[in-house]
This record gives sequence, C-alpha cells and structure tokens, in this order.
Amino acid sequence: MDFLPFLLVQCLNALSQAALLFFLGVGLTLIFGIMRIVNFAHGTFYMLGAFLGYSAAHLSGSFWFALIAGPIIAGGVGAAFEIGLLRPLYRRGDSAFLMVTFGLTLVLGDITRLLWGVDPLQISLPNALGAIVFLFDEPFPTYRLFLAAAGIIVAVAIWQFLERTRLGLLIRATSQNAEMVHALGVNVNLVRSGIFGIGCGLAALGGVLAAPMVTASLGMAGNAIIDAFVIVIIGGMGSFLGSLLAAVLVAFVQVFGTYYFPDFALAAMYLLMLLVLMIRPGGLLGKEI
Amino acid sequence: MRGLVIAAILLAAAPLGLPPFATTLLTEALILGLLAMSLDLMVGYTRLISFGHAAAYGLGAYACGDLLIHTRLPLPFAIFLSASITGIVGIGVAWVCTLAKGVSFSMLTLAFAQLLYAIAFKWTAVTGASDGLAGIPRRVGPFGLTQFQTRNGYYYLVLGCLLGAYAFCRVLVRSPFGAVLRGIRENEPKTISLGYNTRLCKIAIVAISFMLGGLSGALYAPFAGFANTDLLFWLFSGQVLIMVIVGGQGTLLGPIVGAAFFMLLEHVLSQYTDSWALFFGLIFIGFITFAPDGIWGLFRRRVRI
Repeated sequence: MDFLPFLLVQCLNALSQAALLFFLGVGLTLIFGIMRIVNFAHGTFYMLGAFLGYSAAHLSGSFWFALIAGPIIAGGVGAAFEIGLLRPLYRRGDSAFLMVTFGLTLVLGDITRLLWGVDPLQISLPNALGAIVFLFDEPFPTYRLFLAAAGIIVAVAIWQFLERTRLGLLIRATSQNAEMVHALGVNVNLVRSGIFGIGCGLAALGGVLAAPMVTASLGMAGNAIIDAFVIVIIGGMGSFLGSLLAAVLVAFVQVFGTYYFPDFALAAMYLLMLLVLMIRPGGLLGKEI
Repeated sequence: MRGLVIAAILLAAAPLGLPPFATTLLTEALILGLLAMSLDLMVGYTRLISFGHAAAYGLGAYACGDLLIHTRLPLPFAIFLSASITGIVGIGVAWVCTLAKGVSFSMLTLAFAQLLYAIAFKWTAVTGASDGLAGIPRRVGPFGLTQFQTRNGYYYLVLGCLLGAYAFCRVLVRSPFGAVLRGIRENEPKTISLGYNTRLCKIAIVAISFMLGGLSGALYAPFAGFANTDLLFWLFSGQVLIMVIVGGQGTLLGPIVGAAFFMLLEHVLSQYTDSWALFFGLIFIGFITFAPDGIWGLFRRRVRI
C-alpha cells in the first residue's frame, strides 16, 4: 500500500474516532461550562445510550429509530436527575456535584446490569451502513464514513444552535451570569435542567453510535469517562471549540499511535494531556486558572 | 482522647474474643481504614479530591508482592520498603497533578490511576497481567520471627501500623504544616499571599498520603496472598472516597469508621443481593445530600446535644 492512500485511510479512521470522542466530550464540557458541574456519570450515560439503543433497535427493528430514541430517553433520565438531586446542591461546593454524580454512576451502572444482564450486546446495522466501500482499492467500512459525517453534522448543529437561536443565547447568557438572566425573567432552573439533559443525551448518542462497532457492554462506562475527561482537560473546561479540537487531536494520536507504537498507544494520550497541561494549565482554549 | 484509648484496647483484645473469620474481616477493615485515613489527608484537610487513590493501594500491593516473591526480605521490611516506594512515586504524581486545581486535579488523579491500570495489564513480568500476582508468601523474620505468619499475629501487625499511622497523621494535622494545609483548603490565594509555597505543601501532602496508602496496599498483598488489577480499578478509588465522605472527612477517625461500616455493609448485603453497587450508590447520595459531615459528624452532633 502506498503511503498517500494509507495516510488518507488512517485520517478517515481518525476522523470517525474523533466523532465518537467529540460526542462524549462536548456534553461534558457544555454541562461544565454552563453549570460548573463535573458530571462523573457522563460515561454511564454513554453506556446507557448503547443499551437503550440496543433495545430500541431490537424492538422497532430500525437502527435509525434507536439513534433518536436512545438519546432522548437518556437525556430525560439526566434531566430528571438534575431536578431531583443536583438542584438542592447548588449552594454547595464543586466537589459535592462530583461525588453525587459518582453515586449516580454506581446506581445507574447497577440498574443497567439488572435490566440488560452482563453479556455484551450487538446492534446490527442497516444494510446501507454495514457495507464496505473501496478507497484506493482498499476496503473501508461505510459505517466509519457515516460516523465522521455524523460528527461533522452534529458539531455544526450545536455550534449554530448556540450562536443563532434564542435558546442558545439564553444558554450562553446563563453561563456568564445566571443571576442576571434570572432577574430578566428567564427560568434559569429550566435552562439548567435542559442543558444537563442535552449533555447526557449527546453522550448517549455517542453510545448508540459506538455500539455497532464495540458492542454494548458494562465496561464501556469506565473507558468513556476517562476519555471524556482527557478531552475536556486538553480542550479546556467549558470550551465547545476546545472539545472539538481535543477530540480530533486525541483521535489522531490514538489511531496513529496504535499503528506505529501499539504498546504505548494508551500512554500517548496521557502524554499529550501532560504536555498540554504543562504549557497551558487551563487547556488549549480554556481560561487560565 | 479517653474514647480513643478504650477503642484501641478493645481492638487489641478483639482477636481473643472473636471467631477466626471475624478476625480476618476485622483485619481487612483495618487495612481499608488505613487507606481511607490516608485519603482523608488529601480530601478532608487540603480539599484535594483525589479520584485515583487506588493507585497508591495497587502500587503498594504490587511492590510488596514482588518484593516477597522475588527477594528474601522479611515481611515487615518488605511492607515498609513498599510504602516508601509508593511515597516516592507519589512525589512524581503530585508534581504532575498539582499543575491543575479543583476538579481538573480530580480528573488528573483519575487519569493517572487509569494509566497504572493499563500498565498493570501490559507489564506481565512485574504484575502478572490479568492473572495478577498469586501465592504471595508471608516471609519469616526479621531474626526468625514467625508471629506475623499467623492470623492473630498479622492482625496485630496491621493494628500496629494503623495506630502508628494515626498518631503520625494526628501530629501532622495539628502541626504548623497542618495549619497551612487547612489554609489551602479554605482559601488558597490568601495562603499564597501569606508567603507559603502552597504547591510544595500540596506535593508533600499528596506524597505522604500516597506513602500511607501504599502501606495499606502493602499490608493487603500478604494478607490476601494475591494482588490483581482490581486493586487499581477506578471504581475502587471511588469506593475509598465514599468511605471517607460517609465516615466523615477531615476527622481521620471518621474514614476508619466509614471503611469498617462499608466492609460490614458489603458483607451483610452480599448475603442477600448481588446489587451492592446500587445500595452503595444510594447510601452515598443520601449522605452527600443530607449529612455531608458523615457518620462521625452525626455522632458528634448527637453527643453534643
């Protein structure tokens, strides 16, 4: 295989990986940027999304339905959790959120185990997505192309939503000065619940999309939360563009690292994080702390 | 203070009156209590919320296991050497993690523990990969001492370590250094402006906390006879944090009570259900929401009124 086609195929691989990482990181960073809450249960919502997606696809027979139903249900669970358990804690410190969401991780993880069992579950793809295309005479899964495209579409959609819509404006205003927004007659609590739900829903969307490649399993949550944290730290806490940039960077390091140094691929991600932290402690696009 | 002496005497007399399996359970509770107390130095006194304390435990356990399997070092020496090694590694971890503050610190500690977890799976020669280290012996010595090999003897070794560590921590948090730590907890910029090098203090307390956590892991390896990657798993880090919070952070003794409480709870729950994580999580959420001071705080409030 020539170098140029190889490079192109690996880049496409990295982009599809970046899309999954972006879904994970962007929800976490949105929730943190606007609510100052570190959602430890984020990886668990990713896992929950995969399992919900499995059931939805299984019951309806349609992967597309699962793509919509999974994130909505998971987002609803997230919003309910915000209303029931996080709202009473707003007067307390950051660490209270971190720990209460850790408690949620345990509870949701165990409920998932009770509902779906311990065996990994496979989501089957519609024929259009399960096929293989040939790029430069090399086979390449269509699904990875679909992932990369989905990542770009969702990124543009979130960006336009935040910049162009009235709700996006309210969300940005709430992140800067919640009290002032409240004084102007906006129901800030509702905005917060909505954001928490959307963030969890985005993680779940990533989970549904990842499930056909890696199967839905209970082990997903642990890996996902670490990946999400790494992306948010590299990109800068609360920065939307930062999470996009970090997802692409980490994906490229992972894909090319796995190819060239298979034994050190995992360490490469942490080294990248370390390097960023030493140069810019607040993350690439984050505020200096 | 008087209560403390009574508790120490009761613990010292416990093996004489308890059935053997209860002594084993109590030994494990004390080992976990030591781990939770070491985390309390970071969480309760300095508000450095570490989500990766399993790293210290696992490091100590693997170091001690390797020392006992591959060298002829007597048991207590191997344990103390492992604790020192963990403390030295802790300096490096602290140097990196204190680059960040607040929640970023928590995430970095978690990422570091995960890195160790991944390494433990790959580095077969030292960690035995997914099989772990099995058959860790309790070596004789020093001077041909065989007492530590028995169930009760090992219990007293653990109890001695815990009491020694508690005395050390108590002196530490009441020293001027401890006052600086509380200064960092309450208001770091102010502490800096008073002329203290807070980064150095944080590195010191993380390293000390790692050393004591490593001591606890080093005690666990020969106690259980094995060390595996479960000891490094991120959920375990979270469980230790739960023990600290539920027991009562910033009290040293509270986390020990919390560890014992959870040992007992897990033991009882596992007889009726395998959903222990569900109940752990619910109890934890309950404590965070309604009783942030933990069991120790509830107890203190009750006694004062």
